[in-house]
Amino acid sequence: MITKAFNGGFSRRMFLKSSAVTALGAALPNVTLAAGETIKIGFLAPLTGAVAAWGTPGLEGCKIWAERVNEAGGIKLEDGEHKIEFVSYDNEYDPAKARTGATKLIREDGVSFVMMLGGDTWPGVQPVADKTGMLFSTLLPSDLSPDTPTLLAPTEVHPIYLVTGVEWLAENRPELKTAVMCAQDDALGLPSVATYLAAFEAAGIEMQDEPLLFDPATTDFAPVVTRLLSTNPDIVCLDTCYSDYVHPICEQLFQQGFKGQIISATADFYDQIIAKTSKEFMEGFIFQFPDFDDPALNADNINFPDPNGFYAEYNKRYPGQWGAVSWEYASIMELWKAGAEKAGSVDPDAVLAAMQEGGKGQHAFGEAEWWGEELFGINNALVGDWPVVVIEDGKATIKGFKSIPAWYDKHGDLLIKHMTAYDQMWNQRS
Amino acid sequence: MFELLAQTGLNAVYAASYISLVAVGLVLIFGVMGVVNFAHGELFMAGSYVVVALYADRFVPFFVAVAAGLVFVGLLGLLMERALFRPLRDNPLGGLVASIGFLMILQALAVLGFGVRMEHIPPVTQEVIAFSDRVRLPVARLYVIVAAIVMLSLLWYFLKRTRFGWALRASAQDPQAAALQGISVTLTAKIAMFIGAGFAGLAGALTAPLVSVNPYMGHSIIVTAFIVIIVGGVGSLEGAVLASIVYAFVHTFVTTFYDGVLADITGLALMLIVLIVKPTGLFGSADRA
Repeated sequence: MITKAFNGGFSRRMFLKSSAVTALGAALPNVTLAAGETIKIGFLAPLTGAVAAWGTPGLEGCKIWAERVNEAGGIKLEDGEHKIEFVSYDNEYDPAKARTGATKLIREDGVSFVMMLGGDTWPGVQPVADKTGMLFSTLLPSDLSPDTPTLLAPTEVHPIYLVTGVEWLAENRPELKTAVMCAQDDALGLPSVATYLAAFEAAGIEMQDEPLLFDPATTDFAPVVTRLLSTNPDIVCLDTCYSDYVHPICEQLFQQGFKGQIISATADFYDQIIAKTSKEFMEGFIFQFPDFDDPALNADNINFPDPNGFYAEYNKRYPGQWGAVSWEYASIMELWKAGAEKAGSVDPDAVLAAMQEGGKGQHAFGEAEWWGEELFGINNALVGDWPVVVIEDGKATIKGFKSIPAWYDKHGDLLIKHMTAYDQMWNQRS
Repeated sequence: MFELLAQTGLNAVYAASYISLVAVGLVLIFGVMGVVNFAHGELFMAGSYVVVALYADRFVPFFVAVAAGLVFVGLLGLLMERALFRPLRDNPLGGLVASIGFLMILQALAVLGFGVRMEHIPPVTQEVIAFSDRVRLPVARLYVIVAAIVMLSLLWYFLKRTRFGWALRASAQDPQAAALQGISVTLTAKIAMFIGAGFAGLAGALTAPLVSVNPYMGHSIIVTAFIVIIVGGVGSLEGAVLASIVYAFVHTFVTTFYDGVLADITGLALMLIVLIVKPTGLFGSADRA
């Protein structure tokens, strides 16, 4: 049969050319939509396993977001309105599974955009992103590099926003002069350690000890806390510990008699921490992720539609499950939707160009700039203001918004110094 | 410095307590049945979820929930003995693989029943015994320490001073000779599985309010338990207890004075050193090693 085809004028050169075209076609994502066809968005994150808390609440938030968008008519492209639907794949925070998931979402499900948690799973996905040119998002800008221009960090600029909490702390409690820190030894913990070190140094707060790194499999935090408290610090910093760590660490801090200041990236399910400690113990706890019923989010510059209503709906469907990422993936979708509607299509290059037009973007917490070349080698992180949240009388309260670029303009050299020391600069990562 | 040492010592005693309960159960199962039970960490997890279901969700008194955890997980052990290990009695590798399958089933059941997220368990008590400002023992941790001492003492008495205990030890030493003496190998296997699994369930139940309970919490404890039984000597209960104490003190002190990552490396190095210097472990015998 093949011989016959060649004999009939189908030359070897033509065969190779057409094979190459076919292979290229298979490699590129299928992003052409028929009129009225539902737009599929890939949700590639850990939905089971130890890191599921960074995936599952985000998917739940996305479903609420999609219902709201679909009820309002869908996404308006050049050829009309399209409903939107999420296709999820549980990567279990495993790079190999993430790679399989990315391939499946693009090839089989025909998604137009893939949202990820990123971190340890990104190296598995990167070859797929590079090969297909698909637009991806991550919550962790430490995944960014010039190698993959189609990877964006449009909402959570972890860990750079952490500087805002320390800056606020230094301004409001200048009497606190010493700090200690602990973190899990992983892709989420280490860049945070470097960022907090820079922020404390910029604020004139002295680190009393080297950051204490612990194995992510740790379950008993009494030794960690004993070590942290051994130098009588004013401040204990919990870095970007997962809630599975934040809760037992806080309980240990309470039981071992700590009465100072705690600062952390997150405090998911803080009502449970209060139940395990006391309202008085948790008073003044600083973190970075607000409850969306906070009145401060009703300001005109906030670019998340009806945050109070979203929070109420989320809590109605998933009582007590609101966490740091519940709104973040939905916020990314808000940006992507604006980009797709501006571009009039879901083509990854067109959407990317529309999202980054003018170098500015409408971040959930206000207008922000596409930023990051010094730290990540590419301006693909959307950076602006970030809220500082404090627990007051048992409730998370936004105390203010602080500018990340403004901090960086003054102290960027410190951040680069500490990121370099922890091998977290984009050109140091393997 | 004295206060730091004293607090670290108290932390180590607590760690030794729950580790020894888990490790002794694992050793008992291996000693009597010759099976490496990879699902032992998930039995620990199952004990924690009994406390979630009864104490946290249905407000059953904590110690009733703990007792229920011991019995429920002991019964799970009996189920494993009947459904997995008995049909594979002459096939230790098959038993090992079957236990891995059971591990996955238990994890999946926990996910289906409770979801993947960490469970919130209200504190049993917030009382703390304060020896000084910096040396404090939470009473909830004291419960674990006391329970471990009591249960391990009862186990020692059972094994050394009762006929069932002698039968169990005889079966562990030579199943065929024990059978020729009229000892039911099946009955001793059931007793070993109930006690071994029940101890894991007890440890999981007691520590549930002190750790983050989730379907994957068995991973770290099973790794620790394997290190401990290799250091102590595979098949030796005394070795498991001693190795639990050694491991807990080494790990806790290294975590406190250096860091947690180095502590894990030190724990593994301890195992490697024992394997090189005394391959049978501290108390192990050559025929079980």
